[in-house]
Amino acid sequence: MIKFKEGNLRVPRLQRPVYVVAGGMTDFRKRYTEKATEELVVEAARMAFEENDLKVSADELRGMVNFCVYSQFADHFGDQLLAEARVHDALGFDPLGNFGVKTGGATGGSSVLAGMMAVASGYASCVPVVGWERMDEVGTREGNAYIASAADKNFESELGWIYTSYYALMAQRYLHENDVARDVLAKIAVKNRGYARYSPFSQAPLDITEQDVLESRFVSDPLSFLDCCLMSTGAACLVLADEETAFKISDDPIKLTMGAGSHTLRTADRRDMEIPLLPNETPDLYKDYKWEYPGFSSFLAARMAAYYAYNAAGIHDPVEDFDLLETHDAFTISDIQTYEDIGLRPYGRGREFIESGDAYFEGKLPTNLTGGLLGTMHSVGATGIFQIVETMWQLQGKWAKYHADPQLWQRFGKTKPEQFRDLQVKNPRRACTVSHAGTGSHVTVSVLEKVTKEYHHEPA
Amino acid sequence: MSQPETRRPGVLPLRPTVDGIVTLDGSTAKLDGDNPMVIQNPKAFVHHHTYGNLTPFFQGLAEGKLLGTRNPRADAPETRVWLPPRVYDPDTWEKMEWAEVEAVGRIFTHTTVIYPGALFRASVPCPLISVEIEGVCTKLMSYLAEGEPEIGMPIKARFNTENPTHTILDLSWVPA
Repeated sequence: MIKFKEGNLRVPRLQRPVYVVAGGMTDFRKRYTEKATEELVVEAARMAFEENDLKVSADELRGMVNFCVYSQFADHFGDQLLAEARVHDALGFDPLGNFGVKTGGATGGSSVLAGMMAVASGYASCVPVVGWERMDEVGTREGNAYIASAADKNFESELGWIYTSYYALMAQRYLHENDVARDVLAKIAVKNRGYARYSPFSQAPLDITEQDVLESRFVSDPLSFLDCCLMSTGAACLVLADEETAFKISDDPIKLTMGAGSHTLRTADRRDMEIPLLPNETPDLYKDYKWEYPGFSSFLAARMAAYYAYNAAGIHDPVEDFDLLETHDAFTISDIQTYEDIGLRPYGRGREFIESGDAYFEGKLPTNLTGGLLGTMHSVGATGIFQIVETMWQLQGKWAKYHADPQLWQRFGKTKPEQFRDLQVKNPRRACTVSHAGTGSHVTVSVLEKVTKEYHHEPA
Repeated sequence: MSQPETRRPGVLPLRPTVDGIVTLDGSTAKLDGDNPMVIQNPKAFVHHHTYGNLTPFFQGLAEGKLLGTRNPRADAPETRVWLPPRVYDPDTWEKMEWAEVEAVGRIFTHTTVIYPGALFRASVPCPLISVEIEGVCTKLMSYLAEGEPEIGMPIKARFNTENPTHTILDLSWVPA
């Protein structure tokens, strides 16, 4: 639809608040043949249940679980349909109910959304959301063909069999419409890969320059290898709970509110429409906007997810109201597009968010301090969960516990770098994560909020 | 001297594994590495995919025609042509009618594929384009068979009518 009626724009209203109480993950690797999928999943869950300073033991927490959500993008990759059942069994949660969620690259975000709905509605009180992707059973070219199976098979997949090309079409148009040069995109590639150097979980930490990105070979112009995210194997897990349960489990649960949006699988089918506004925008902002919207330059799905999430969580200005952000930086171009979709800058001015320094550590809204999908991981089903786990740790002031401990580096067979940087954001209150599929077919936006004692009402 | 076959009656003998073809008779997978043990599971199934009522579009390509669909109702929210075609109007769910589109347009955006995915059948470098056509409410993804792509470049369609693949690859574009 390109015109909305009242019901379409109803803001989500949860029946009760939902909290993230624990998180864990494996490290991420291009090939992880040392471990089978079930091992990776159990190890991510063990970290969540055993290493989050919880007030209950892992055994007690297992006893509080009453539903599970599983997150795997593509049955193709793991070559195992109904992998959810194998994982549920490996985690020992039979015979509790569970289901898997699939929305392409946004599968992680959508799975957490499904878990949030289960808790908010009262269906469940304690829900692990567990995600993984086994992307190493095939080579990179075959993996790209599998991923391109998530383009329209009649009209698109044959044209490249690689998503980079579909984003490159967007990139070419975006750069043309907004008079942006590739060096702006290169800044994002440098930043996120640089932050990945401080993560024991990261697959491809790199100390590179903008020139390296500009000189890197094109996969599909104007996108080079260094403009593109990783293909990873690994797992992530988080635990959601209602307020009463959350405070039994943790002294520091993080409140979660989410919104979701969608748009056509084929970028080319996005008819020109009026720009939906976020709370920090007014109609006159776009009175002189001369391009088609969303065209090939914007993600309406991200705009809609932000609309629902911001209005549900009371966010007015994302740059002011958030203290950190994790975007789905699958490609440098999609990152700059997303800055505009979620209201960090008006449409057409996304470059200012990175050029101003806002997006960097100690900037106004540090973005992808995890290393993101470019530097740390894109094990698709785990990605949206990984983003929320890392963000929860930041809001809890525990970044150092999960990144600076040399033993954690050793666990993954790595040595903590001598030149290390503490990326804990100072006293963060609110954060945002964006999970994204296709060329913007599905997007979820999460608002995470540190609660103070006055938010917490002891159960009667 | 060959060994006599020892097998249960009724069970077929094992056939040799053909590389790239899965054998359904229980022959063993190839070993890739032994610590941890990694095996190869080759697969080559054929999917029989239907175009359903989008078939006229692909038939049209083989006959040198570019066909879209439109909602015949004059007061429909969208009266322009959809290309790629839709069987039903997504705004109203009404059945669409076919409309031949003049096979000329302009390049809306482009990229040149250097490293495609494994199933790619064309040669590289391959200039992909998104085509803007007057009177059409969508864009159409395709490729440029001749010339260097530029945004705004006028182009005309070329159809593979001689040896059609019955895929979207039967349509390409050249400078107009």
